[in-house]
Amino acid sequence: MRLRGVGTIVAVVLAGLAAALVALPAAAQDSTESTDTATTTGGDTDTSVLRIGWAQDPQTLNPFVALDEEDFNVWSMNWDLLVNFSTEDLSPAPGIAESWEISDDRKTITFKLDPNRKWSDGEPITSKDVKYSLETLGGEGDVFSGYTSNITKIETPDDQTVVITTKKPDARIVGGLFIYIIPEHVYGEVPIDELTGSYQPDLPLVGSGPYEVTEFNRGRIVRMERNPEWQGPEPGFDEIQYIKYGNQDAVERALRLGEVDMVVEVDPSTFERIQEDPNIEALSSPSPSYTQLAFNLCPEKLCPDAEFNPAVQDVSVRQAIAYAVDRDRVNAISARGTAFPGSGILPSFYEAFYEVPEQNYPLDPELAKQILDDAGWVDNGEDPRTKDGEELSFDLAVRSESPTNIQAAKLVAEMAGEVGIEFNVQVVSVDKLTEQTVRKVDGKPAPEFDTFIWGWGGDPYDPSFLLSLLTTDEIGSLSDGFYSNPEYDALYTEQAGIFDTAERKDLIKEMVALTQDDVAYVVLTEDPNLQAYRTDRISGIEPSCPAGKGDLICEQVSYQPLLAIEPASGSSSSSDDDGGSAGVLIGIAAVVLIGGALFVWRSRRRKSDEPLEMEE
Amino acid sequence: MSGRWLAGKAGAAMLTLIFVIIFNFFLFRVMGDPTTQLARLPNSSPEEIAKLRADYGIDKPLAGQFLDYAGDTVRLDFGVSQRSRETVWSEIKAALPWTLLLVGTGTLLATLIGSWMGVVAATRRGQKTDDGLLGFSLLTYAAPEYWIGIILILVFAVAIAILPAGQQVTPGVEFSSWISEALSVAEHMILPVTAMTLMLLGQYFLIMRSSMVDVLTEDFITVKRAIGLSHERVIRRHAVPNALLPLVTLSAIQFGAIVGGAITIETVFSWPGLGELSFNAINDKDFPVLEGTFLVFSAGVILANLAADILYFFLDPRVQAR
Repeated sequence: MRLRGVGTIVAVVLAGLAAALVALPAAAQDSTESTDTATTTGGDTDTSVLRIGWAQDPQTLNPFVALDEEDFNVWSMNWDLLVNFSTEDLSPAPGIAESWEISDDRKTITFKLDPNRKWSDGEPITSKDVKYSLETLGGEGDVFSGYTSNITKIETPDDQTVVITTKKPDARIVGGLFIYIIPEHVYGEVPIDELTGSYQPDLPLVGSGPYEVTEFNRGRIVRMERNPEWQGPEPGFDEIQYIKYGNQDAVERALRLGEVDMVVEVDPSTFERIQEDPNIEALSSPSPSYTQLAFNLCPEKLCPDAEFNPAVQDVSVRQAIAYAVDRDRVNAISARGTAFPGSGILPSFYEAFYEVPEQNYPLDPELAKQILDDAGWVDNGEDPRTKDGEELSFDLAVRSESPTNIQAAKLVAEMAGEVGIEFNVQVVSVDKLTEQTVRKVDGKPAPEFDTFIWGWGGDPYDPSFLLSLLTTDEIGSLSDGFYSNPEYDALYTEQAGIFDTAERKDLIKEMVALTQDDVAYVVLTEDPNLQAYRTDRISGIEPSCPAGKGDLICEQVSYQPLLAIEPASGSSSSSDDDGGSAGVLIGIAAVVLIGGALFVWRSRRRKSDEPLEMEE
Repeated sequence: MSGRWLAGKAGAAMLTLIFVIIFNFFLFRVMGDPTTQLARLPNSSPEEIAKLRADYGIDKPLAGQFLDYAGDTVRLDFGVSQRSRETVWSEIKAALPWTLLLVGTGTLLATLIGSWMGVVAATRRGQKTDDGLLGFSLLTYAAPEYWIGIILILVFAVAIAILPAGQQVTPGVEFSSWISEALSVAEHMILPVTAMTLMLLGQYFLIMRSSMVDVLTEDFITVKRAIGLSHERVIRRHAVPNALLPLVTLSAIQFGAIVGGAITIETVFSWPGLGELSFNAINDKDFPVLEGTFLVFSAGVILANLAADILYFFLDPRVQAR
């Protein structure tokens, strides 16, 4: 090895690198400027961009297979539902259908389409698209099936008319049919095996909403530009970019630095801190989801092989737990006060149907003790209460991935302990908990748990999904508490077919009351949407869905709020980060250059005072 | 003679690779029936499950499954990612260059800096410089690489926010030319490469130092000094080339550790390489992707070892003489 030769080469390479680095920041500056002009707002010719940061991005936009929540953020701006949601109160509003008519027996609904509406590629939107979407996407789409089980017939007498007939009246047909209407002329061409396989939709993603996806670079960006065929009010921004960051911390830092204008999922632990920035406004709004303490209530005849502490099926024990658990405290500590204390199985988000339950179990440990005493559960000092050799000692399973739930479980254990009920918190994997709840023996459900904490999320507006979870029909399917009450089941079936809101509300109130008396779940918290945006970038934000107390942009539900917001006046959404980076690079280049120079100089010097050389 | 030696090494590498492929097959079958993962709803009907089993070929007898698998593996067909619905090979192809860039730069820098530090320390054995360098490299060697990564982020991306904390380019920026994109990548590389370098530095330093200390006490060094060669020249022309040999072996053996380090470093810095791909695949239970990355990592380690053997063959005359 000729090390001197190597040394010279290294020196030359270093010098070259240094020269390149010195020269290049100029180029980088150019690119920064061009980015700036591309995103600066104000001038008529410039593009205004709304940049939304997230830590998780869609894996595929194919509606037949995608499962990520983030897909809905994109789809809900790209496509309409047959009936959209009003941003006012989430009630049914015109979507692909302009109007609809319900027959007297409530089993036939006739939808009328606007003859002038077009897909973003210029093709007309017709009843065929509706039929295709409801049948194919509603039948095969992983996240869209389950809405059409009641539908017996979909007819299309002409291009602007869709007639849907159902087995029994189903209020979800209007206001709860959460299946996007997608263009048949695009998806109908693709074999179904491919659609449910590795099909990736072509871009732009042909749609009916105000924006269409024009770029999808997984791991980096989802770009949505205006739909050229859009006929509604002109959107305030020309372009929406969903920008993927490595993790939640990075997203929130990007918001503080102004790299993005909005964050649609703020972490509860940083929610407080992010608002300290005077230019950032953060908002916590109710969502149709909750976190519940669930019990193994499966009746013997349905689950002969279930394994659990039978004391959990004593209703007085559950009532005592409900009185002993301070839901405000659970919210204040586990969710850092960002959620809302629970009040029964219907989240207050469902404004049209919600009412505070009469029996709402206010915190009352003394009453809890009294109930247990009356039921014969004896308090013998330190240990959990006992009755005929049975102990009030329950396993409480909780998912390891949710620090919030773990914290809530510890609080429940602590508070129930005060009244003599022991909870042994067990932190388990999602798989383990799923296995415990869906276990089957001889084809019959055989749940293997006492209690657990997990959550559910429902549809916007229509509460049927959340209500269905406690029906007997769902045992062996989605039911995780195995609650069974024929009275509840009958009310569920009845309410599902009622289109009149007031009438339906009364029935739902009865259902909630039943589950409160039986303590089917203890709903600990109603979970929030936590969002934040820069007030110096976006103006015109009015919380909506429902108006006044909903979220910033009616995320995943309606594109209407996005049409109203616009760039804040005088805002320049340029990223000034690159200037800094150029500085850093110049610094590095200088160091490398000086280092290289020293290296060369030293090599030279050594050469000059080299002694007489003897070759080896 | 020497040809046989090389062929033996290559054969051993080949056998190891075949073993890994076989092991890989059984490893991912031991983890249970993939349909339980695929049928996301716990109550998929028996027909749906049967269809899935047929689609994935797991209704066949094990031997048939293995033949399918071996054939597919040779054709680099690792199946389709359950998450992104893209072929595993295309996912790996997209991630591999990023890992090579990170690992390559990190290894290069660690070798250069580590061995230079080793030479400096060995020639100043027992002095303050030696103690300082030894302490520093033991610290970086012992510290977990993800911890180093987090500290780097805290200092250079949060406290004095001059460098990006993650990813390979600035998110959401449209680059006007490849030069500005390359610059952005260079900027984003600084922290992960530093973490990688620090992780690897210690070993190179320690090996180079002890190897140099050995060489410096050999007689031929004394002879070179005696004939009047300067100190610098003795070190550079005579001591270093001889001390470099163990470093070659180390680089290859290190490859396994580098792969492990890449997984954590890429995850900490959201670097879109194979490490992050595997990490996400574990989280998503995306077994086809995991199977693919596992194979690529194993093949990498095996090939690196083979390369070291071959390189050694040319570098060290003692191997050829055998």
